[in-house]
Amino acid sequence: MSEELQEALNLAGDAVSRAADGTVQLVGSECGECGKNVFPPTDVCPQCMSENLSSRKLSAQGKLYSWSVVHAAPKGWDLPFIAAYVDLPEEVRVFAHIVDADPEALEMEMPVEARIAVLGSDESGTAIESYAFTPVTKGDS
Amino acid sequence: MRDVAIVGAGMVPFGKYQEKTLADIAWPAVKQAVEDAGIKKTDIEATYCGTALGGMMSGQRILKKLGITGLPIINIENACSSSSTAFREAWITVAAGVYDAVLVIGVEKLTKFGGGTLPLEKEDWEVSHGLVMPALYAMRARRYMHEYGLTENDIADVSVKARKHGVWNEDAQFRKEVTREEVLASRPVADPLKLFHCCPSGDGAAAVVICSAEKAKQYSAEPIRVIGSEINSGKYMTGYRDMTSPEITLRGAKQLYEEAGIGPEDVDLAEVHDAFAIAELLYYEALGFCAKGDAAKLLADGETSVGGKIPVNPSGGLLSKGHPIGSTGVAQIVEIVRQLRGQCGQRQVEGAKVGLTHCTGGGVSGFDHGVCSINLFAR
Repeated sequence: MSEELQEALNLAGDAVSRAADGTVQLVGSECGECGKNVFPPTDVCPQCMSENLSSRKLSAQGKLYSWSVVHAAPKGWDLPFIAAYVDLPEEVRVFAHIVDADPEALEMEMPVEARIAVLGSDESGTAIESYAFTPVTKGDS
Repeated sequence: MRDVAIVGAGMVPFGKYQEKTLADIAWPAVKQAVEDAGIKKTDIEATYCGTALGGMMSGQRILKKLGITGLPIINIENACSSSSTAFREAWITVAAGVYDAVLVIGVEKLTKFGGGTLPLEKEDWEVSHGLVMPALYAMRARRYMHEYGLTENDIADVSVKARKHGVWNEDAQFRKEVTREEVLASRPVADPLKLFHCCPSGDGAAAVVICSAEKAKQYSAEPIRVIGSEINSGKYMTGYRDMTSPEITLRGAKQLYEEAGIGPEDVDLAEVHDAFAIAELLYYEALGFCAKGDAAKLLADGETSVGGKIPVNPSGGLLSKGHPIGSTGVAQIVEIVRQLRGQCGQRQVEGAKVGLTHCTGGGVSGFDHGVCSINLFAR
């Protein structure tokens, strides 16, 4: 992960990577003993308690399981935002914001793709960034 | 294990008491429960006090007002299930013969946070990324709508029923009816949930006195028996899970019915954790009051209203009575006690013999809920 990226990603830290071509992937943990994938990264496997875990890049694309347009949240978040659960092929469900999307056009199970987005700002006005997902445009997937 | 009974119940009307301390909110509920039991305060051997956000030594702060001190006072935090957890811990001590008479308190003062969504633990990953409780329930709602054809009108009707019951409860925070149209026109909180689909923020306290069934008769002509008490944590799931199916409630209800030797068809009324309108519908199914996918029909047929087959939340529920979170578990029990005694006036469930309380607590990533407690009571 580049230094530049580290600075930009003050929320997700090592839980996200961006390739040179701009592809964004979440980074979880894979258990070296039982093979379980976990997101966000962890240092002990919740299935077998092994500490033999390695970093695992997860698929850039997943499917939308459910979502909500959120109008009430603690200070700092840009409102309204779309909260969602996204299912990644590695049997991992991720809570994420959906960005660059018309809420009316969202559909269950639609393919979505990871990216980096500004989600709000802190008390000093500094932008808060993290991973988010956006619908895959047709012909893109 | 010994049989256990409730001999005293008390609560203060839920509402906004910003000017009062936690102790000043709570002591009248405790005094009412103790006087209702007709027990000498010196006969109370221990106290379990549930509060999620009340701060250190809440039980001591409350009980010093009434001079109920010098006994074990155990303070318990378990989110929205704090006082239902306190109740179960107290029940275990009496059932096991450790104590004969124990006081249980639920208390919360949410106005100190100045309104808005419930403050959650920021160390949690999803909370740190903006998850709030209404959004979580909203996503359950949207998924359920998708899979079972539930409509926004169906969800709104839960709030309409709750508010109707609340009119009859002098301890309820909201005592005014609303129409389906008013629910749907209220401001959006987390689409598809509107403001009137969400329980209000507020303050309150409730208390009960429990004792061994044998001793109960010396205090109360009509003790309410505890016929089952169950608590569970959710299962941590990092992968896919069915958000239309509250696994912790399903699991807990099954265990509890087995333990009590009865089934959902034997339950005459229930107080369930309707923090958001969609939740009540999910719980009809999880508690076995109807089949999966039939919740909206059960509601529409009036079966869960007072006068129906299985009235749910005759108190008005969290949506109408209010949800000062740590108070809720015991307040639900207070309602069941009063219902089984026949003290509930216009909202009385006629002939009620068996009542159920169901209280969850959430706000942690990867769980359906962090905790769920379910109790069964009989007269």
